[in-house]
Amino acid sequence: MEHVIIIGGGGTGAALAHDLSLRGFEVSLFEKGGLISGTTGRHHGLLHSGARYAVHDPEAARECARENAILRTIAPGVIEQNGGLFVAIDDADLSYAREFIDHCRRCDVPVREIDPRLALSMEPALTPGIRCALEVSDATVDAWRLPLQFFATARAEGAVIRQFSEVTGILRTGDCVTGVMVHDHRRQINYDVTGDMVVNAAGAWAGLVSGLAGIPLPIQPAPGAMVSLKGRLTNRVINRLHSPGEGDIIVPQRNLTILGTSIWHSDDPDSYDVPPEDVERLIDACAVMVPAVGDAALHAAWSAVRPLLGTGDAADLWQASRDFECYDHAVTDHLEGMVSVIGGKATTMRSMAEETADLICRKTGRDIPCRTATETLLSYRLFYRSES
Amino acid sequence: MKGRHIIFRILRYKESVIDPPQFQDFELTVTVTMTVLECLERIRREQDPSLMYRKSCHHASCGTCACIINGTERLACVTTVLALDTPVVTMEPLRGFRCIGDLAVDMTDFYRHISPDWSYLTPVAPDEGSGALRFEDCIECGTCLSACPAMERECPFMGPAALALIHREIKKSPDGKESLLSLAGGPRGEKWCERALHCSRVCPSGVYPARHIALLRKMLGK
Repeated sequence: MEHVIIIGGGGTGAALAHDLSLRGFEVSLFEKGGLISGTTGRHHGLLHSGARYAVHDPEAARECARENAILRTIAPGVIEQNGGLFVAIDDADLSYAREFIDHCRRCDVPVREIDPRLALSMEPALTPGIRCALEVSDATVDAWRLPLQFFATARAEGAVIRQFSEVTGILRTGDCVTGVMVHDHRRQINYDVTGDMVVNAAGAWAGLVSGLAGIPLPIQPAPGAMVSLKGRLTNRVINRLHSPGEGDIIVPQRNLTILGTSIWHSDDPDSYDVPPEDVERLIDACAVMVPAVGDAALHAAWSAVRPLLGTGDAADLWQASRDFECYDHAVTDHLEGMVSVIGGKATTMRSMAEETADLICRKTGRDIPCRTATETLLSYRLFYRSES
Repeated sequence: MKGRHIIFRILRYKESVIDPPQFQDFELTVTVTMTVLECLERIRREQDPSLMYRKSCHHASCGTCACIINGTERLACVTTVLALDTPVVTMEPLRGFRCIGDLAVDMTDFYRHISPDWSYLTPVAPDEGSGALRFEDCIECGTCLSACPAMERECPFMGPAALALIHREIKKSPDGKESLLSLAGGPRGEKWCERALHCSRVCPSGVYPARHIALLRKMLGK
């Protein structure tokens, strides 16, 4: 079968290595750092129900709802199946509720209105003043171990996974990509790898990778800060019932509580800034929903860089789509043999891989159905049983 | 923001290039909130792109960035540099694991005696009592194995993390108690533990493996 080279060892690359291996392709994946050392591992761990996006980004909402249900069945051991609530605090939140529920239903996102008193008994840390509570199927996912399950399964299926191996160039003959140049940081050597197809799955770094081939990509690195607090303040994920904005997600993660998030423009996917003022604003905004947030001890603050679709001219980054796109560079740039998959969310890593693998099947004339929606993933621990 | 000048003395290793390993100094101006991991990121970006270390979550949930900082096993992501209060910060990879480059180690040996069947996050109904205690605390970072004096000897000890997980698994799945206990009391089990308690001291997640080993010994009638 054809040899597919994947650039990027985050969630998308992990799910794609699994999908393509399962369809019978020969797969080699290259990651410049350690596995899952970019955006995926740093996300807040919210397995979205889809509700957050229902009003302004219905495609992303539908996708999240479908993937949420699939990941719960194929990777149960790395998901706290804890559920989530959207809570209205003020009049503006309350007036948003009807539109929110309608859009959720239209997007097939399960949502159930519950008595605020019941919500308070379920989550005693909520502010007593909540006006309305909606139950959704959010969950907390282990952001490192879910992609590692994809890697473990891909490796067992024969995929070659190379970390600390940086793609430094794209090999081409005329208008056709024929492989990649790789720098091995372990042994300080360079080598070439030839393949039938190269997939750019570098997330927020995808623009740098496509730049190696001299082609532009509509990608907007958009960092956001996150805060973790000591102690698990709620059992469920708590969301503010309003149009998505800053500091409106509280994700309990084992014995920690994660607050998300802020957003800003950046041209630099390697941005590691954590603005102290963002940390303060996140704590203040989340304390409106769960007052104990204001008293909890700070555990860590960090930032992660979202790989948003677009060219950076979106006036409101909160409204920019969280959907993803596969680019066949033969169509967009007259460059055969290279595909880029950009955008998306950790929740949709599997479906991003499915769509990309479908495209690769079409391009290679293969008619092989995707099986990743029903194949249970191997334990992440098995990744280390086959270390190469 | 004003910062302090810090030297990071990092043990470098590159198979057949920097072999045997040797220390290399990097200098940085460090501000009050900066973690050791943030400093590694800056060094890799601004001074040496070949610097290798593992990292993922940046908040002590994944366990990948464990290394030896000033002689003690710690997570780089939640270690604040200035809180160490030393002008030179030395960094070495975890002991007892195969080094794949600089501070990055291969975790295969960590999982050698940990079954993939032992549960990690156990799905439960949302209203099944207190949520705070039923999720795993162990983030499988390897610090306890690195710090364990018994692991330094040529003995077949499975190590503190595996024993802590066995004890937790007995609590979660009492049906498997007999076979799990025979593992704990077996030729690779608790008998090798020297009760040094280093595992509990370095654990960044409050698992206290030594306490689990003591409780296993009680179950075994020792």
